[in-house]
Amino acid sequence: MNYIIIGNGIAGIQAAETIRQMDSESGITMIGDETFSPYCRPMISLVLEGAIPPEKLAIRGEDFYEKLHIEPVLGNRVTNIDVADRQVIIDHRPKGGRKTCFSFDKLLIASGADARPIKAEGLNLKNIFYMRGRSDVLEMMETLAKAKSALVLGGGLVGFKAAYGMMKRGLEVTMLIKSGYPLSMQVDEPAGNLILKELVRHGLNVRVGAEVSSFEGDRHVTGAHLSDGSVIRCDMVVIGKGVLPSLSVVPRDRIKVDLGIMVDEHLETTSPGIYAAGDVAEYVDIARKTPWVNAIWPEAVNQGKLAGMNMAGRSVAYKGSLSRNVIRIFDMDVMTCGLVHPQDDSDHQVISEINPRKNLYRKLVFKNDTLVGMVMVNQIDQGGLFAALIQSETPIRIPKEAMLSPVFNYKQLL
Amino acid sequence: MKKVVVHPERCVGCMQCMVACATAHSRSGELFSAICEIPLPKPRIHVGVGLYGEGFPNRCRHCDPAPCMLACLPGAIYRNADFDTVMIDPDKCINCASCAMACPFGVIRYHEDIFAPMKKVVAVKCDNCIGRQAKGLIPACVEVCKSNALTFETSAEALKRKTNEVARTVSAEAGITAAAPGFNLLNAIKKTQNQLKAN
Repeated sequence: MNYIIIGNGIAGIQAAETIRQMDSESGITMIGDETFSPYCRPMISLVLEGAIPPEKLAIRGEDFYEKLHIEPVLGNRVTNIDVADRQVIIDHRPKGGRKTCFSFDKLLIASGADARPIKAEGLNLKNIFYMRGRSDVLEMMETLAKAKSALVLGGGLVGFKAAYGMMKRGLEVTMLIKSGYPLSMQVDEPAGNLILKELVRHGLNVRVGAEVSSFEGDRHVTGAHLSDGSVIRCDMVVIGKGVLPSLSVVPRDRIKVDLGIMVDEHLETTSPGIYAAGDVAEYVDIARKTPWVNAIWPEAVNQGKLAGMNMAGRSVAYKGSLSRNVIRIFDMDVMTCGLVHPQDDSDHQVISEINPRKNLYRKLVFKNDTLVGMVMVNQIDQGGLFAALIQSETPIRIPKEAMLSPVFNYKQLL
Repeated sequence: MKKVVVHPERCVGCMQCMVACATAHSRSGELFSAICEIPLPKPRIHVGVGLYGEGFPNRCRHCDPAPCMLACLPGAIYRNADFDTVMIDPDKCINCASCAMACPFGVIRYHEDIFAPMKKVVAVKCDNCIGRQAKGLIPACVEVCKSNALTFETSAEALKRKTNEVARTVSAEAGITAAAPGFNLLNAIKKTQNQLKAN
């Protein structure tokens, strides 16, 4: 048996380790465009803020491939997947390697996601970054030393972490948010406003409702023109407008693609023997009950593991993905999970409690008797319990208001 | 291998386990000096309250596979095979709270700790007192528990005891009586009082 895994992110790594655990004989080839040893992508913002050195990003040793007898093909991008001939073709011959095409019996596409590009004039100027991988952050670090002010586009998670990191580095940071408050995909308005308040209190400049139309500068960026006609001066720009699955090599006539690659409960695509996992895969969202791409680390871990098991011959079903996130901003903790903005209908019930003085907020979204979403600001230690309830779709039999109490624990559900 | 078994129905909510746990994880190991230590030692076991005011000792279950371990970004959570214990490496921990989002029991807390670098906030949870166990002692929470809500026994022993309890419901001779049979009554009284208050 010959396994090929496209992508050496966490989904690919988990799949490779799982396959190797169950099958010590077969050949495994991993093709990835990043050349250093496997690292933890969500932690790159910690490097930016100076909390950890870049070496600490590694989550597997340098001997990872050797130890698991995996043939690494690194620094290469896949140009084509030939479904009929069961081959993967790469752009050029790898160092020391002879071939540019690799045949497979089972293939995993774990190519991840790329930063969502924006449309504006002057994007070719220097010091404009998409913060996506390790190398992006290392480049940003070089610029940081000379920069005094920065502009962050997007109030999503990436924009957010970039802004936080640069503020910690002492830069004057302005954040441009199209919607009315930060993290609008993850949190609702009350929580968003608490976050905004906390950020502003620590010196972040926030501009709401505007977008960049063009960048100006002579080689290096020096400012941005906004849609409302105003100009913001800045020495560097970070674009954090979310991510899109990397689908460029997927043959759409053979493999069904929506926003991501459509998979079944065994993480198998519409083409038998070809699987997908991680940020590139699309499967039912447990809370939303509709196909969804949840491009988050914990789902990539789960999907990689399960894809590996299914590829190695053990049939294991995947229940579905669940959007969730946790972030710490200065002294504030925010955790969200599942459906945060429910439809306004009789099936959905929302209960919430806010205490602005203590910066506390908790919101629970129910669909009939099951919990389908939550937002918590501070006191997040029982958050995993809520996530587990959403994930398992356990019917709630106790008075729902009890779950808003900070002393709520799982004994109350027994 | 002996493990801590939690019997929530027997907890009276005295919280002595919390004090014992914090003391066991202090620098001095003595209660009276531990309360003066900086950082203040904190418990890894948390006595919560049920819907009717019953006590509920909540501690890490050392799941296998452990969801926190899979969710940990820097790979700071690992399993100590000798004691079958899920551990957190405070040097590697980045205090991202990913484990809080993964733990279905809600037992992980974040604070400074004597086992972590100075001034660093890290994820902290039960370590099954492996330091004490290595010295031949039993976990501090079990040692101090007066109502047998926490016991330290092998799974076979625990299973046997449960089997006997079930057997007793059909045959009075099937085993000795429970150590403290009054808990059902106590919890029923608490529940009734609570309902009366609510009406």
